[in-house]
Parts: sequence; structure tokens; C-alpha cells
Amino acid sequence: MSGRVPWVFALAWSVLLAGCAAHEDKPGDRTDASKPGPETGTVVAVLSNDPQTLSPIGKTDVYSATVASLVSDSLFRYERGLRLVPRLAQRYEISADGRTFTFWLRPGVRWHDGRPVTAEDVEFSVRCARDPRNESLYLDDFRDLSRLEALDPLTVRAEYSVPYADALEGWTLPLVPAHVTGGDTSLLEGPLARMPVGCGPFRLARYEPGRAVVLEANPEYWDGAPGISRLVFSIVPDRRTAYQALLAGEISLLALTPELWAQAEREPRAASFTRLLYHPLRVWHIGWNQRPEAAFFGDARVRRALILALDRESFNRSVLRGLGRTAATTYHPDSPWADPGVRPWPYDPARARALLDEAGWSDRDGDGVREREGRPFEFTLLTASADEVTERMAEWMQQSWREVGVAMRVERLEWRAFLQRRNAGRFDAAMSSLSLGAIPDQYELYHSEASPPGGLNYFGLADRRVDALLETGRRTFDPERRRAIYAELQHLLHELEPISCLYHFAEPILYDSRLEGLRPSALGLFDVFPGPQAWHWRSGAAE
Amino acid sequence: MLAHALHRLATGAVTLLGVSLCTFALLQLTPADPLGERPATGPGLSPQQIESLRQLYHLDRPLHERYLRWLGDVLRADLGRSLYDRRPVAQKIAERLPLTLTLNTLALALAVGLAVPLGAAAALRPGSAWDLATSAAALALYSVPVFWAGVLLQWVLSARLGWFPLYGLEPVGWGGAGLERLAARAHHLVLPVLCLAYGGVAYLSRFVRNTLAESVRGEAVRAARARGASWWRVLSRHAFRQAAVPMLTLAGFVLPGLLAGSVIVETIFALPGLGRLFVDAVFQRDLPVVLALTLISGTATLLGILAADLAYGVLDPRASRGSPR
Repeated sequence: MSGRVPWVFALAWSVLLAGCAAHEDKPGDRTDASKPGPETGTVVAVLSNDPQTLSPIGKTDVYSATVASLVSDSLFRYERGLRLVPRLAQRYEISADGRTFTFWLRPGVRWHDGRPVTAEDVEFSVRCARDPRNESLYLDDFRDLSRLEALDPLTVRAEYSVPYADALEGWTLPLVPAHVTGGDTSLLEGPLARMPVGCGPFRLARYEPGRAVVLEANPEYWDGAPGISRLVFSIVPDRRTAYQALLAGEISLLALTPELWAQAEREPRAASFTRLLYHPLRVWHIGWNQRPEAAFFGDARVRRALILALDRESFNRSVLRGLGRTAATTYHPDSPWADPGVRPWPYDPARARALLDEAGWSDRDGDGVREREGRPFEFTLLTASADEVTERMAEWMQQSWREVGVAMRVERLEWRAFLQRRNAGRFDAAMSSLSLGAIPDQYELYHSEASPPGGLNYFGLADRRVDALLETGRRTFDPERRRAIYAELQHLLHELEPISCLYHFAEPILYDSRLEGLRPSALGLFDVFPGPQAWHWRSGAAE
Repeated sequence: MLAHALHRLATGAVTLLGVSLCTFALLQLTPADPLGERPATGPGLSPQQIESLRQLYHLDRPLHERYLRWLGDVLRADLGRSLYDRRPVAQKIAERLPLTLTLNTLALALAVGLAVPLGAAAALRPGSAWDLATSAAALALYSVPVFWAGVLLQWVLSARLGWFPLYGLEPVGWGGAGLERLAARAHHLVLPVLCLAYGGVAYLSRFVRNTLAESVRGEAVRAARARGASWWRVLSRHAFRQAAVPMLTLAGFVLPGLLAGSVIVETIFALPGLGRLFVDAVFQRDLPVVLALTLISGTATLLGILAADLAYGVLDPRASRGSPR
């Protein structure tokens, strides 16, 4: 029996050795460039999980999209103000009927392997995006594309069967080279999925599954080499571990949870880091079930009353640590399309009570809960998660509405079960986060035809004026006329309040103060122009 | 003996089939499919796209047909591709297996190495101050939750004292090789191994103490002591031998235990092992990965039980001749 212990140790060491031997070594790459800082030019950021693919086209997860945006480049990109700027497209033209787009490519741009980027690559990239096997989000953008041809090596013409004023958004598609896969458009199982070839400011140096994605600067980038030499994504699933590594100087920048953000305010070692907040393209909202058969929220006055009964400013200060920004509509405040005349509903309980009275809900039996035609105003709010912030919000709303005579019960569901209930219309009100687009067209969200699963109008808004504005807006190319249409739409939606936008939650970032060129934007720090290619270490900086 | 072993192998194969079928059915009962609805944040695939993918991956076929298709592939040694990243499942598992094996082997060695002397020392003098002290210490240690211990170890030994790296298998994005790399990895694995081992030390030391204490009180040991044999001789010749049978029951769980990843330790220390792969795959409804891992751990469990079973027969011939349970 006593002979067993050394045997076990021997096994352990042999396994440890085997583990090392089994790993692919890349000889010659032995510089200690792992420590981030001005000495090495390396920046270490964090992903909490592996990207689903490294192919610039394919899959929909944010990790894949982040890497894709750095490794490859596209005809257009969004800049910080959420406007499209031409990148690989030097110029473009849209025909008078809005159905033909012609793009002239920037000459002299090269793939990481040295081959030139041509119109043929653009055409191939679109074919890849339209191949269902790649599970690409861009597939929908090219649904109405009827014809795409390379007129010459640097000119592409796209024809659409239906004019669509936001069609340029599809051209933020990162490009892939046509010559690597031999014309095979299935990318997820091919060579590009693990060793992508792009034309972006960074190129892939190494991928260690479960551990790291290592990018290095592309010195040949057409718009000038990036200011940092390496960008390493360390894959760390636990944010607390990553936070400790940030404080220890092993990580250069990190998005924090609200709890860690509060902790960082008291942590002396965190004082030397720079703080940055941005409000992503998302809004925390409540959808009111206003289908004809639903009991409580068919009347816009009731919906408005409930949002007027919430003191969002003071809740933000007391509980959300100022990380919330009170929201007005589903048009992000940083968007050039947001109408500044539409303000968030204020806290006004008196007006809330008056609106409820007007709508026929009054407390006749004096039990503190209003009723109408014998039915008490007691509804259920569906939520999808049980994290602390959601719980505190639900408690706060329960209390606020109680004060205006409305009783609310909370039902917590697992996310997928939540979606099923919500999309089937079996709910009174549902609270969750909603992703917003940079484009003004919100047909998918508000049009009466856009019910799930095809659209997002799960709350059952059906308003002829809204429908008409949405239909005209997506066919109108003139920017001034469009602006007027969407301004009118925002005012109308604000009156109708089909959903109540509560807050835009900030993403708090802590980063090494010697790192410069980071600018907040609704698109985050990576997938935006100019992103990490504009970062650089302040040289000779002393801590 | 051989017939007995073959019989156990055959029943084992049937059990595995049952386990895979149950796993398959259970994942179908969860209220969603792997392509699913729109994700929590960010836009998702359109319904038409999801429909065509479902056809592509045969997810639109009836349950029994999909199960048989999977079974046929497995019999041809093809575990399929992950729905998460479309990589071969066998490759994903092979990438992570060495790490999980290493972690578990080291943790087991540490646990056994500490628990046997601690437990034996306590068993020699039941009721002594040493026995009471180790008993209390083991209870305290056993009650410490792993996530807490992990964070504490990180905070004290890494963040404050800087003795050990915080996380990972080697410095991130580092290109070291050979012995240097081995040393870096050993250094990185100290905290996770401690974290995995301490519960085992607590449990095993009590187990060793209790089984030994019983045989120490037995007649053979008393007779040996009466003959004037030293404690060491008594322990190694008599007490351990008698305690071997109950210990084998535990040994049967060693093999599956070596393959089972710890999702908590792997998450805290950002190590890509099998525990995280399994839990992530369950949340992503990544059926091929879940099934493959279930199959592997099921096989390991059955083999472990079989090995323990056969060893019983060797140690105690009475066991194999009776009706096999």
C-alpha cells in the first residue's frame, strides 16, 4: 500500500510533461512580451469566453465580432457618433431609385498575406455572409440583394429588389479573402475559422483555446500601423479574478460589474487607473402587453401613468450608483437620429393618479388597490434574471406603484422560458434589456406586422400612424426628410408609450493610465472607428 | 473470474446506452433548442436562418432518428462537431483532457499523501489530543466552500504576497518552451491544486482514521502488538491490510474523479479544463459536447467500479464467488 503514493506522483508528472509536449510550440517566439506596458507595447484585454469563431464572417457572438473587427476591415464603419464613415470604400453612389449602389474601393489595400484586396473579394465576402452555414448576422442585410457584380478590380455594383434607406449598414461586413478557401463559402469549418487572413490593423499571431487570442499590429495597414505592438485577449471567465489581475498590472483594461466598480472606488490600488463610462446600444425596458385581449395595458394613459409614478433619478443615485442614465425612447441619446425634444417622462405621481382616474381605474372599496368594472388592478411583471439589480428594481417599482394604487407581483423565469412566455403573449408586463441599432429604422420593433418570432413587437402595438411613418422612413433617402419622419415617430411613440424605457446602463471600464487614445462611445472600445488602432502607450511615463 | 468480468462489461455497455439516452432526452426537454431564440443582448439570427440551420444540423428530425444517427456516428468513432464553434468534439476534449488529468492527479496525490499519515497518526491514539485536533481541523476544512477558498488563496498568496500567479496555465500570450514552460506551469498550478485537494485531505484523513481505528482494535493487531512488533510494522502488515477492502470502495471513484473537471476552480483560476467545457455546453445546449463528456465519464465510472470489483475478488476470494450483487 505504501508504494502507491510515489506511483501517483510519477503519473502526475508524466501527465504534466505530456500536457506540455502535446501543446504546439511556436519556436522563436520567446520574447517576454507578455507583460503589458510601454516597454513591450503590449495591451492585454479580457474576453470572458472563447470567440465562437475567428473567421471575420460567421456566428453572432460579441467575442467573434470583436476579433473580426480588428483582424479585418470593411467598406464602411461606424465612428463614435454612430455615423457611417467610408473605409475601404473610397467613394460610393446611390441611384435615384435607391436600388443600385456603386462602390469604388481604395486602391493599394493588401491582405495580411500580401495579396491585393479586390472587388472579387467583396463579392466573395457577401456570398459567405449569405451562406446559411456561417450563421452570420449579415445574412438579413443582404436578403433583398438581387445582383452583385465586380465591374472592374476596384468597382462593385449592388442591386436591390426593394429600395432600403439603411442598406449601407450591411456594408460594415468585415471582408474575407477569396483566394484562401478556394472559393468555398463555408467558413466555420475551414482554414479561416482558426487562422483568419484579414486586411485590418491587427493580425492573428496565436490562438490558445480557452486561454488567449494573441493579435499583433499589422505594420502594412493602409491607414498606418497601430500605435501598440500587440493586443492580447486573455480569456478569463471570472470578473473578480480579472479585476485582481488588473490591479496586479497583468491586464491593461477591464469592464467591471457594478459591485466591482463600487469596490474599486474604495481600493487604493485602483486609484492609479483611469475610469471610463460608456452607455452601450441597449436599453432596460418594460413591455406592456397591449393586445386587445390583454387586461391592463390597452390604454396609453395607463402605461404613461406607471412610468410617471417612478422616481428614476433618485433610484439611480441611491441604488444604481449613478450607472444608469434615464431613458426616453429606443433611440439612443448618442444617436444622430435621437430627437432632443423627446425627454424622459418625469417623476409625477399626482399626474399618474389623475391619468389612472381618467382611464377608469379608481379605488372604490378603499383597500388601496384601484379597480375597474369590479376587477382590481393587480398585474404580474415577468423578469428573466434574479441578479441583485433586477431584484432591487422590481422591489422599487412594486413600492412606487403601490403608492398610486396599483398592485404588482413579480414572476422570475429562466431566460429562454421568459422569451417563450413573452413571445406567446402570455404576460401582463415584461422587463428585460433590449438591443438598439445605430440605424433609425425600427420597423422590426414597432410595426404591427413585426410580431415574434420574425419581429420584436411582442407587446402587440398596432397603430396605423406608427406603421405609416415606419414604412415611409425606410424608403426615404433624403437625410432631412428622414430626420423629420423619425422625429415625428419618436414624439408619437413617447405619447403612446408602448414600452417604457427605464435606463441605459453604463459599462464601467478601468484602464491603465499610461494607455492613451481610448474614447468612450455607445459602440464600446473595440468595434468602432477609430478603435484600438488609435491606442498608444505614453512613452517614458512614470507611475 | 473472466466470465465475471465479461458479464460486468456487458451490463456496463447497456448502462452506458441508457445513460446516453437519458442525457439525450433530458436536453430535449429543456425549453429551448441550441440555435434558440434571440440572445439576451445583441441581435440574433432571423427565423428563416434558424430554420435552415436546423435542417442543416438535422435538428428538425424526430428524436429517435437523431439519437440513432448520433449512436451510429459514435460507433464509427465520430463524436461530431460542437454547435458552439463547429469544431470537432474529440479535438475540443483532447485539448482540455491533459490539464484536467494533471490537476486531478496532483490534487489526489496531495490529498492521499497528507491524509494517510494524518489519519494513521490519529487512529493509533483514538481520543487523544492529536485525534481531537485533527478531527476538528478536518471538519473545519471540509466546511470551507471551494469558491471562497479559491478567492482567499488568490487574495492572500497571490495578490498580497505575490508568491503565486493569479490565474491561467502560464503567463498570457507567453511563448516559453521546454523546462522553463514546465516550471511556469507547475508554479501556476499550485493554487488550483491546493484548492482542489483540501477537501479531499479533510475527508480522506477521517476515512483513514476510522477504518484504521477499527482494525487497530481488532485481534490480529492486538496479537501483533503482544508479540512486540513495532507500531510501524503493525500498521503496514496488519492494520492497512484489513482496511484495504473498505478503501477499495473509494478507489473505484478515483478514475472518474480524475476526469471530472471542477467548474468552480477552473472558473476562478481561468483554466480551460473539462469542467467548464461541460457546464458551458449544457448552458449552450451544445448536445454533441454534453453527450460525449457524459459518455466518457460514464465509461470511466463503470471501469472504476469494475476494477474495484475485480480487486475485491483478489483481496477477498469470498466476494467473487457469491452472487455478483
